[in-house]
Amino acid sequence: MRTRAILGSILASASVLIVGYQAGTTVTMANGISVTESSTSAGSTSGTTASGPADGTYTGSSVNTRYGAVQIQVTIASGSISEVAALHLTNADGRSVQISNHAAPILRSEVLGSQSARVSNVGGATYTTQAYLASVQSALDQAGA
Amino acid sequence: MTTEVRPRPSRALRHTGTTVADYRRNFSRRARLSDLLVMALWTSGATAAALFLASGGIDQFTSVAETVTSIGIVAGLVGTDFILVMLVLAARISIIDRTIGHDRAIAVHRSLGKPALYLLLAHGLLLLVGYGLSSGINPIAEIGPMLALPDMPLAVIGLGLLIVVVVTSIMAVRRRFSYEGWHLVHVLSYVAVAFALPHQLSVGGILSEGSGQRVYWIALYVLALGGIVTFRFVEPLVSSLRHRVRVAAVTEIAPGVTTIQFDGHALRGLGASGGQFFIWRFWAPHTWWHSHPISLSAMPTDNSARVTIRDLGKGSAQLSTVPVGTRVSIEGPYGLFSTTARTSGKLTIIAAGIGVTPVRALLEHATFAPGEATILLRASTPEETYHWDEIKAIAAAKGATCLVMVGHRPRGIDTWMSEADAARGVTLTSAFPDITDSDVYLCGPSTWLDLVEADVRATGIRPHQIHTERFDW
Repeated sequence: MRTRAILGSILASASVLIVGYQAGTTVTMANGISVTESSTSAGSTSGTTASGPADGTYTGSSVNTRYGAVQIQVTIASGSISEVAALHLTNADGRSVQISNHAAPILRSEVLGSQSARVSNVGGATYTTQAYLASVQSALDQAGA
Repeated sequence: MTTEVRPRPSRALRHTGTTVADYRRNFSRRARLSDLLVMALWTSGATAAALFLASGGIDQFTSVAETVTSIGIVAGLVGTDFILVMLVLAARISIIDRTIGHDRAIAVHRSLGKPALYLLLAHGLLLLVGYGLSSGINPIAEIGPMLALPDMPLAVIGLGLLIVVVVTSIMAVRRRFSYEGWHLVHVLSYVAVAFALPHQLSVGGILSEGSGQRVYWIALYVLALGGIVTFRFVEPLVSSLRHRVRVAAVTEIAPGVTTIQFDGHALRGLGASGGQFFIWRFWAPHTWWHSHPISLSAMPTDNSARVTIRDLGKGSAQLSTVPVGTRVSIEGPYGLFSTTARTSGKLTIIAAGIGVTPVRALLEHATFAPGEATILLRASTPEETYHWDEIKAIAAAKGATCLVMVGHRPRGIDTWMSEADAARGVTLTSAFPDITDSDVYLCGPSTWLDLVEADVRATGIRPHQIHTERFDW
């Protein structure tokens, strides 16, 4: 093989990889976990208790990850979390769908069990867990928990 | 070795047409293009890896599980890129054929086969391990969830087919198959490539909808498959319909050696240069399902062409009984064993056995000044001197020197010469004093050709002056 071809290949390949790397860094900064304030509380607040969360249904913020957005809805009844429902889960690709389908029920029962957004990470679903809990927390904040 | 034809000095014609400067120019243009092709090959591989970096950068290497998964994905991208490059190389795309020749394209195609397969196997294994690590289960247990992903079963079948295709192409294994059987298996690679595509677009996030990566990737597929459709199906079809080639005569010129004469329309328009081959398909009951790469044994006229074949396998034996009037479809012309590859003014040709056929057309087509071409015809026995009379006549008419050497190679000594000539101390440079200033065309059976080629290289000639064509598949 000729020197020109070898040098050309190395140069071209290196530039392509550097451009790819640069593009990737930009994407990472934009696609870290970011919260979009699209939450609208659908709380039918009845205001029965003075302290603690108000009863109602609260929609958490939509939290973006590189695998897709996550948005959770929390229902408060008699001052405690009675239902946690996923409006949107990471679904950018088949693998993400599989991961969020696996993680969502675990996270739901842990949030219901601990009555808070302070639960442990689900293995293999770090992005989904973080986004899920961030969205739950924003719903709880709206409820005044 | 005897000299049969010597150029007559009195008839020295000033030769016009292509000059040495033109050869040089053509050669450097081909060399430039060839370097560009090499660069395109490696850069496409790097681009495949860059697609991954662009989708999330170095962040995807933070944990062990992520790192394993990421390397697995890159292996898949690069492996698939190699497979697509292989398709392009096998598509007989005219610019690639004119630049590096069909033989070299196929040689690169072959050399990519195993690396591509290893990368794709690594892709599968690394992802099982990576997904397993992140879910906290072992790789074997990960097979279930993996297959539950949409499009994954199809991709696994595709990989299985690819393994079959590559394994049947490993030389030791390939020898056990007939060409036809091997080719049938090889066609499965199209199915493998098609089956792999859906999972690439749906399972991973790299090529997700709306991404630039997805656009690039689909463009790659379109380019590779488009190249195949255009150059292996559309162009041959158009050319076959236009030139309306039919078998005009089949003549046995020696035991097991047959010439097939064709009728056709505007055959000069094919633009074949001497020494090139076509891929022929004879639409007769026993031969239609198999195509044959065969060199022209004479330059085509407007309405006729000719090939000469020897029974080398079942397929070519059947060709000697193909009925007159049979329609023939053609693909070509292909190959750089032709006048297009000239780099010098002088010409040296050495051909053995049935290898004389392309050389006969080459000598007919080549331009050279009288006295500047030497051709050596080699046969084991006097019965194998196919077309020698024709070649001698062309040599006499164009002022080339024609040498002949008949006799078996000696046992136990590695030489391409006959026993008598080897014993007499004939050497390449005694037969061809100007060899290092000339283009050397070598054609014949592989084992013999390897010996000549080694001998020619030993003269210190520059590699681009050597042109070879091996007669075996």
